[in-house]
Amino acid sequence: MSEMWINMGPQHPMTHGLWNLRVLIDGEMIVDVDPEMGYLHRGIEKISEDRHYNEVITLMDRCCYVAGFAWEHLYIIASEEALHLEPPERAQYLRVLCDEFQRIASHLMWYAAFVQDLGLMSPFLYGMRDRDLVLDLFQSYTGARMTYEYMRVGGVRSDLPPGFTDHARKVLDWLTDRFVEYDQLCLGSDIFRKRCDDLGTLKATDCVTHGVTGPMLRSAGQKRDLRKDRPYAVYDQLEFDVALADSADVTGRYLVRMEEMRQSVRLLRQVLDWLDRHPGPVLADRLPRWLGAPYAPVGKEGYLLKRNYPKGVGFSAVEEPHGEAQAYVVNEGGEHPYRVKFRSPVFANISAARQYLVGYHVADIPPIMGSVDVCVGEVDR
Amino acid sequence: MEPVDLTAALGPVLGDRLLGVEAFPRSAGRIRFERSGALDLFRAVRDSLGFRHLSMVGGIDWTDHREVFYVVWSDDRREYLFLSTDVPADDPHVESASGIWPSANWHEREAWELVGIEFDHHPDLRHLLTPDGYEFRPLLRSFKLHEPEELEVKTRHV
Repeated sequence: MSEMWINMGPQHPMTHGLWNLRVLIDGEMIVDVDPEMGYLHRGIEKISEDRHYNEVITLMDRCCYVAGFAWEHLYIIASEEALHLEPPERAQYLRVLCDEFQRIASHLMWYAAFVQDLGLMSPFLYGMRDRDLVLDLFQSYTGARMTYEYMRVGGVRSDLPPGFTDHARKVLDWLTDRFVEYDQLCLGSDIFRKRCDDLGTLKATDCVTHGVTGPMLRSAGQKRDLRKDRPYAVYDQLEFDVALADSADVTGRYLVRMEEMRQSVRLLRQVLDWLDRHPGPVLADRLPRWLGAPYAPVGKEGYLLKRNYPKGVGFSAVEEPHGEAQAYVVNEGGEHPYRVKFRSPVFANISAARQYLVGYHVADIPPIMGSVDVCVGEVDR
Repeated sequence: MEPVDLTAALGPVLGDRLLGVEAFPRSAGRIRFERSGALDLFRAVRDSLGFRHLSMVGGIDWTDHREVFYVVWSDDRREYLFLSTDVPADDPHVESASGIWPSANWHEREAWELVGIEFDHHPDLRHLLTPDGYEFRPLLRSFKLHEPEELEVKTRHV
């Protein structure tokens, strides 16, 4: 039979965003794939060179629209390293609070989209319903549900509203019970297991060779989590386990993400307890004035006052819900970063698509790509 | 884990082409090398030092020259290592790392199209984020954000 290229995308239910998966098929078999990206390229790295440090945070939310906090945190750590700033401890805990709630929201979004790819409609609605509870929490202390602009170089914008921690604990209780139901719906279903077992297998050595990180790597049994290996913020003071599976297939990725949500709940309970006991400032004092008061113009030139920042490079790496994200911020003494470079985990995970798609059937593409958890915003930037 | 002595490990392999080893916070360090020693260095870093995971490749335009930097990770040591080399702006060539770390493939495509670094012997140097035929290098300092460029976009597959 002759081979032919077909386009899955840029408008296709499988893609979850704007990108195009070109597939070379021979009958029903996948012979080769060629992902095409760039439909969502906004030039975030270039725009960052033209903005003040705090103004880049707005762009970070748009980098990955389901994991905005993780990207804000990534950029903030690198900037603080480049500018030699130290945030107060309460701000660090608040950032972990944001990160972990974001991980739950992102994984719930993934769960909803993934099960819908498999043709299961009810879990999709359950996932979206429960994600909304987390978004409500975000709204209560940032004012926004997706694009928060909450973290600041030197701390966070504001403290939690009264009664937040009790409300958050109720949400965590609710979610813990729902996770059991999710597993009953999916793992308890023979159809789900037959659809997902031994599908899209990518072994740990191939993951490392092709730069794959995050839940995909951990589903292959490799214990690697930057929150443990290279702790940032206050992760080294909190207790949690790294979620692992060993099947390296679609089911394994499901198991890892579900376990990560449970571990996030565990982390969040510790963080909420700490926040209850330790009131304090959330933004460093003695900041350069424009960093401390992001909404107030300073002087006639607005923010553009002459400053002498130390030249240097800031590097940060965080465990984003999709994998390892990195930022490389070069500071040359001006009020803008000289160069900002981001590493998106999904970028690397998609670049290895040939490794986990070739040899399977065309009908297997939606569940496999669904298990990768694609967010095009951060691939294209 | 014991800090690795990069100069002792890489000096014999690279000789003069090892330009310096600097400390970098929370990492194994930062190696500056001459671009002609790229492949020897990559091989030594991956096989002798155990940095098997290439996280990213990026380019920086310093107007008079360009810098290519690599971030690699070792699962045994649990730390990052930074490699960087300078290339002249009028001859921005460096050997591709794709043969050593296949994950470099897409990162190099991006650095090529956005910063204009030419990666020799790259298996698949095509546009990734910008359209085919896009001749600008947006991350160069000479590319101004506020001056719109006229562009005719070619469709890829007709």
